Amino acid sequence: MSVGSWITDRLPVSGEQFRELTNEPVPHHLKRWWFALGGTPAYLFVVQIFTGILLAFYYEAAPATAYESVRYITEEAAFGWFIRSVHKWAATLMIAAVILHQMRVYFTGAYRKPREINWMVGMLLLICTLMTGFTGYSLVYEQLSFWGATVGANMTDSVPVIGGFLKNMMLAGESYNQRTLSRFFIIHAAVLPVTMVALITVHIMIIRLQGVTEFKFKDEGDGEDKTFNFFPDHLYTELIIGLVVMVVLSALATISPATMGPPADPLTTPEIIKPEWFFYVAFRWLKLFTGTAAILSMGFIVFIMFAWPFVDAQIRRRTRFQEASVWIGIVGVLAIIGMTVWEAVVKH
Amino acid sequence: MTLETKRYVIGSLGFLFLLSLVFVQWMETARKAEEAGLRKAQISVPANSKACVDCHAQANPGIVSHWENSPHARKGIGCIECHQASKEEPDSYLHYGEQIATIVTPRDCSRCHQTESEQFAQSHHAQAGNILASLDNFLAETVGGARMNFNPHSPTPGKVVDTVNGFANAFSGCQQCHGSKVAFQSTDGGMITVDDLEPDENGLPTNLDAVGRIVRDDKGRPRFEAGTWPNTGIGRLNLDGSLGSCSACHSRHDFSPRRARQPENCGKCHLGPDHPQKEIYEESKHGVAYRDLKDDMNLDADDWVLGVDYAAAPTCATCHMSGNLRNGGVVTHDPGERISWTNRPPVSLVMDTDINHQIVKEIDPEIRRSLIHDTATDKRNRMKEVCSHCHTPDYVNAFYTQYDDLVILYNEKFAKPGLAIMKALLDQGVRSKTQFDEEIEWTWFYLWHHEGRRARHGASMMAPDYTHWHGMYEVAERFYMGLIPQAREMADHAIVNGRRRAGNAVNRVIDDILARPEHVWFSEGAEKQAAVIRDEMERRYGSVDGN
Repeated sequence: MSVGSWITDRLPVSGEQFRELTNEPVPHHLKRWWFALGGTPAYLFVVQIFTGILLAFYYEAAPATAYESVRYITEEAAFGWFIRSVHKWAATLMIAAVILHQMRVYFTGAYRKPREINWMVGMLLLICTLMTGFTGYSLVYEQLSFWGATVGANMTDSVPVIGGFLKNMMLAGESYNQRTLSRFFIIHAAVLPVTMVALITVHIMIIRLQGVTEFKFKDEGDGEDKTFNFFPDHLYTELIIGLVVMVVLSALATISPATMGPPADPLTTPEIIKPEWFFYVAFRWLKLFTGTAAILSMGFIVFIMFAWPFVDAQIRRRTRFQEASVWIGIVGVLAIIGMTVWEAVVKH
Repeated sequence: MTLETKRYVIGSLGFLFLLSLVFVQWMETARKAEEAGLRKAQISVPANSKACVDCHAQANPGIVSHWENSPHARKGIGCIECHQASKEEPDSYLHYGEQIATIVTPRDCSRCHQTESEQFAQSHHAQAGNILASLDNFLAETVGGARMNFNPHSPTPGKVVDTVNGFANAFSGCQQCHGSKVAFQSTDGGMITVDDLEPDENGLPTNLDAVGRIVRDDKGRPRFEAGTWPNTGIGRLNLDGSLGSCSACHSRHDFSPRRARQPENCGKCHLGPDHPQKEIYEESKHGVAYRDLKDDMNLDADDWVLGVDYAAAPTCATCHMSGNLRNGGVVTHDPGERISWTNRPPVSLVMDTDINHQIVKEIDPEIRRSLIHDTATDKRNRMKEVCSHCHTPDYVNAFYTQYDDLVILYNEKFAKPGLAIMKALLDQGVRSKTQFDEEIEWTWFYLWHHEGRRARHGASMMAPDYTHWHGMYEVAERFYMGLIPQAREMADHAIVNGRRRAGNAVNRVIDDILARPEHVWFSEGAEKQAAVIRDEMERRYGSVDGN
């Protein structure tokens, strides 16, 4: 009895069905690597799960032990520094890849009918990714991560009506306390990853149901096939991107390993408080517009981003600016880049 | 808009985003490396100090480099904040549009570091300039130098020497640790010091006549008397009436806390034959541990609290000044707050101090109690708090018993008797009032000032070799083989010269001392004690013939 028949006798899936399942016809434009960026965050997500499990073997989520456990990982555990550094840099690259993927989807209008729901699922994935980054940095329990979390919680408090409740839920109390870190840890290592797995599944299912948006570029002849096989052609592209990402990750982890700042001191506010880089834009926004106005305007922008497929549809239907989204997108991206660099350059 | 155009839009924005990401990560990585202490912090030069930095980076790059690496630079404190001065200050001058003074005194530092300055002002460190009127300075100024300028007695080939500065020894020796009395050159050829300027409570001179006599160069810059400046002695007598120099420990211009925490910093002054604290520390287990575990000392920590930031080994700063877990991390700039004996004078004194931080010497218990503001016991308890981070109470108490016993042994067996003999010689007119003109005065000085201190300091910091071989052994040899025979000889000499009563009085003092049980071995022999020791040695090691 062959291995194949041994399996098919027990699992009611034929080789034909399996090939059909894996050989989704992929549009020709996905041969361009920058159209294949959607797979990169997924790949990095797997890296994060793997390195995160290794880190969780040693991490202790309590104020008295958190910093020491991270120090142990960084300075004493075998390859601990490398795993922690890969985890840190993979988080940065994952957020960057999500943003690049979203930019491609946005500027090519791939969110338009009938793909509005998947855009919103993607937005949820973006928010989950940022939240995972925020909670992950807080776990280090060094001075800046502690104060970053405190500032983040205070920002949440500024949200009208539900702000106090959200802050309370986030910190497990009115202020940072003994139970806050374990809450952050559970959110970072269980709640958000499970949510993201579910969202990624829905994201891919919708893609499979709807098919990938098809584009045709000038340099493609009319006679060519419109699609190619996922396996092995597109998988190779993804593998190449994955391997390049792994090389980049290893290089970054080695050249610039994750460091340890001074341990958290709740009684001493540092002179300079900075969040992680992906919140620079929000941090700068809060400095430009103070208090509730800043929070409300930021919430409004996030809401517009969520609802953009419908907003864009209304603009296209009711005005003659059919390409308004492109120009708005250019201004938006430049503003995000500008504010991020601005925050990186200034000390305070 | 065509798909091709959008392609370029995505490409351009994506590239710009990645570029910004690289830049932001670069900045982020640099910032985190600074926080972790792996890289020097980026500093920005305050606007009012920019001209100073630009010019001095060319003229004195070392100064600027030191400052760039300082906590001051990281906090935005530039040159002007410390060197600024008002026109009323006698040492101030206009320097490229800024009114500044060259010497930064504790009064200047107190503008920001008030608590530290107040603690320092109460410390014995701040009083170190009192040496200018002490026996030690007589040695430097008169015995080792001359309290005058005098003519050379022969030429120095290759150099024109028309006068010899008799104070050179005091200027370059004593005063570089103890502090000089900073002086201007005066138009009348003399010097102008704080005594002439008579500063008010704000440090401004009240004697304007003296200010008018200050010699200045063509740019209005005052000329200092070279012997008194440069000087970073810890008890410097400054022109504004303040005492001391913060840069004695916090070297300018990097003001490095790291350096102040290391024993080498104290070793500039606390070393040598008369107070070898640095060498004693190095010999002790504390010093040995420090050398081995320096990498674990976390010397760059912001607060450097024992038991929190480090516990590998103690340094001078750990025990005498720095904060610890038990005292809530409170630092003191008065090292005397934790010292329970003063081992500086010929006879050690208990460090009960009055409201002015002076040692209470009153003997009457009632009056003494009323004068004491901070007891030696309190001081010792503060030190015990430090000890207790690594040692149990029984261990610490037993150590202090050993230490007390050694100091008291020295006091009672050698110091007080030596003092009594020297007093008898003086009272009876057998020796002159002038110090160091007779051999016995040198002998006595060596006994208490060098060897006696070594023994006591050795015991205080657990250095056995300094306690015995460099200490008590030499004290004993100096006492029995130097002081006693010399005193006897002087007494006998007085008797021979017709001053029988004076000579006999001195001899009686010596006889009384040598008749005491602890000295009787010297005149009557100690064969019984020696026999017991010999028997014990033979029991342990067999025959000791030939030893």
